[in-house]
Amino acid sequence: MHGTRSVRQLLTRAFAVLVLLIVCAGLAEMTAVLLQHRVVNQLTTHVQPLQVANARLRTVLADAQRSLRGYLLTGDGQLLDTYHVARGEYHAAIGRLRELAVTGPERASVREQAERADGWWTLAERQWQAPPRSATAAGFVTEGKTLFQAFVAASDSLDQRLARRAASLQRRSATLGWLTVTAVSALTVVAAGLAVLTARRVNRDITAPLGRLVNVLERRRGGDRTIRADPDDGPAEIRAVAAVINTTADKSDRGRAAEQYVARLRADVRHLGYRIRAHLVVDDAIREAIDGLARILRADHVLIRLRYDGSDTPAIFSLHDEHLPGGPLSALAGCDLGWLDTGDAWTTDDEEPAETVHPPDDERAACARIGDGPVLTVAISSGDECIGALTLIRDTGSPWTPVEVRLAEGVVADLGRGVHLARLYEHEQHVVARLKDLDTAKSDFMSTVSHELRTPLTSIAGYLELMLDEEAGALVAPQRRMLEVIARNTRRLRELIEDMLILSRIESGDFRIEKSEVELGSLVDNALAAIAPAAAKASVGVHTEIDRPLRLDADPEQLDRVLMNLLSNAVKFTPPEGTVTVRAGRDGDELVLSVADTGMGIPAAEQQALFARFFRASNAIHQAIPGTGLGLSIVRTIVDNHGGTIAVTSAERVGTTVTVRLPVTAGSS
Amino acid sequence: MTVVLVADDDADIRDLVAFKLEQAGHEVIAVGDGQAALEQARSRHPGLAVLDVSMPGLSGIDVCRMLRADPATAGMVIIMLTARVQEQDVEGGFSAGADDYVTKPFSPRELVSRIQALLSRARA
Repeated sequence: MHGTRSVRQLLTRAFAVLVLLIVCAGLAEMTAVLLQHRVVNQLTTHVQPLQVANARLRTVLADAQRSLRGYLLTGDGQLLDTYHVARGEYHAAIGRLRELAVTGPERASVREQAERADGWWTLAERQWQAPPRSATAAGFVTEGKTLFQAFVAASDSLDQRLARRAASLQRRSATLGWLTVTAVSALTVVAAGLAVLTARRVNRDITAPLGRLVNVLERRRGGDRTIRADPDDGPAEIRAVAAVINTTADKSDRGRAAEQYVARLRADVRHLGYRIRAHLVVDDAIREAIDGLARILRADHVLIRLRYDGSDTPAIFSLHDEHLPGGPLSALAGCDLGWLDTGDAWTTDDEEPAETVHPPDDERAACARIGDGPVLTVAISSGDECIGALTLIRDTGSPWTPVEVRLAEGVVADLGRGVHLARLYEHEQHVVARLKDLDTAKSDFMSTVSHELRTPLTSIAGYLELMLDEEAGALVAPQRRMLEVIARNTRRLRELIEDMLILSRIESGDFRIEKSEVELGSLVDNALAAIAPAAAKASVGVHTEIDRPLRLDADPEQLDRVLMNLLSNAVKFTPPEGTVTVRAGRDGDELVLSVADTGMGIPAAEQQALFARFFRASNAIHQAIPGTGLGLSIVRTIVDNHGGTIAVTSAERVGTTVTVRLPVTAGSS
Repeated sequence: MTVVLVADDDADIRDLVAFKLEQAGHEVIAVGDGQAALEQARSRHPGLAVLDVSMPGLSGIDVCRMLRADPATAGMVIIMLTARVQEQDVEGGFSAGADDYVTKPFSPRELVSRIQALLSRARA
């Protein structure tokens, strides 16, 4: 814009000119007044008294001349007295006139009048002594008249001069008045113009730049951080204010940038914490922490010393394996951590560490050996136990700020939790692996047991059959009875082994459900056909009520096992002439299968434990009805695996009804 | 009368089967492992073999597969004995070429009747 000017200069110049103008106007006015005063003064104190005095002299002389002439013509003594009075006044009048006349021409004029008056007075003295009404007197009158007229002419000359002088003074006064009005008006107009100009310049050079500054401040307050005041706008003082505003803004922006940096560090550290805790392997969590800390906190070396549970030698990790023998951190890696407690933090440049932190000399020496840079050591804790130390090292450069120490502590807290969780997880994995091993061992054991039991059972049952067939010779009755007891128990043992094996396989998940579309009606038919000989032998009647079709998704072999177990139970526990009724039908999305018998029933107190393994009702045991106590357990497990339900209603010596509900489209496995 | 090869590592079961088959009028060659079974089958060409699946060394399934692979013994009738009821055993036995399958514990009477049935069918 313009060259650099200051507000002071601007205002000083503008007001100086204004003041000057006002002073000029005042001076002009004062001069005019003084001049007017002088004109008026001259008129009133000089010209007008002169006129008055001149008129007085003329009157005195005229009175003297008139009274003398009258005396000479009339001889009236009274007129002579008047003459003498005038003669007496003459000296005062001429004196007054002489006194007032100051200028050369006036004095000359007054002198001339006096001479002429004296000339007349000389003649007059002679006249009054002449006898009145004489010829001499008459002659004097004529002579006197000439002298008097000469005097009047001189008097008139002075009067005219004075009149001209008065007119000249009055003209000058008028001119002066007009000039004064004109000059003062002109000065006033100039002053007003200057004032307006000043106001406009003040507005342009001060108010506008100030307004722009205010605008900048308001925009900054409104969030525009990039805006700056123009340091070359306006006068020097406003430029200075703009410079101060810019400096403050820069400072504030730097402060804000620092805050944002810290906030970003915090966010980075938080995310690092998440990542650390997400690891399920201790070493991975530590590696994540080391790499993340080196990057976020700009550390040149990172060392982690961890005391493993129960082991005295700590596990050591470092950013670039500097802890290995010969590396820069090897000495520090060998230092004991006994001095460090939960929550402790120590930096080598900290002159006054916390009271509880007492790093031993070997730790200090090892830190000093690494280099001149600052070393920060923070305790890693799991719960209330210090499980190790994190050490961050910068080769050179800035010391660890309190913010960085706090961030490192935050990471260490996450690391502590992460290590704790990873250890728990590893432990859990270990336990799971062991359980799996155990489970496999159990399955293998069951399989082996079954095989190993079957082989001797084959021999027992086979030779028993040979003996009962009398292929080894004839048997006597007690021998046959005993051999039949052995045969019955062999069969029981065999069933027990089979059921145990089935149950074990179903539970281990080895016995997979192979679902297909099954017609339950046909399965029931097959099962009834299979059970028919046993039922006929026991004289038990079998009835069926089946609403076909009864299609469902299920494993046919397993359903067959369910039917066989339920039917054989019903037939087994029903006395001769009793009946077994099989019903099957559809109820909404479920198929309902029930097997009812008119058997011995189950004591109410024992129904609770009906599906427990090896459960046998007390009345069944009492009547020595053979059984393994595993049949209903198997049925229940299979029904559960098909997403179905099983219920039993029973009354002792009345009968038992088992109801199985199976979903048509099985969702669960 | 048919020559029958019986292979089982359990001597009691081997004797049981041999006794029952001899009673039924067959000539029995009893061996205790898969290798011996293979050798006897190749040297004496029995008409039928009863092979236990789980034997040390060569299993019954191995022996069965090898007999079927050899043209000289390919036409032999083979019955497998096993203590296991797992389906893969049954499938393994049949895929190896067994004619029938009997699980332990079995009835010697039923075994002999199955053998007679197989032999009469083979002769037919």
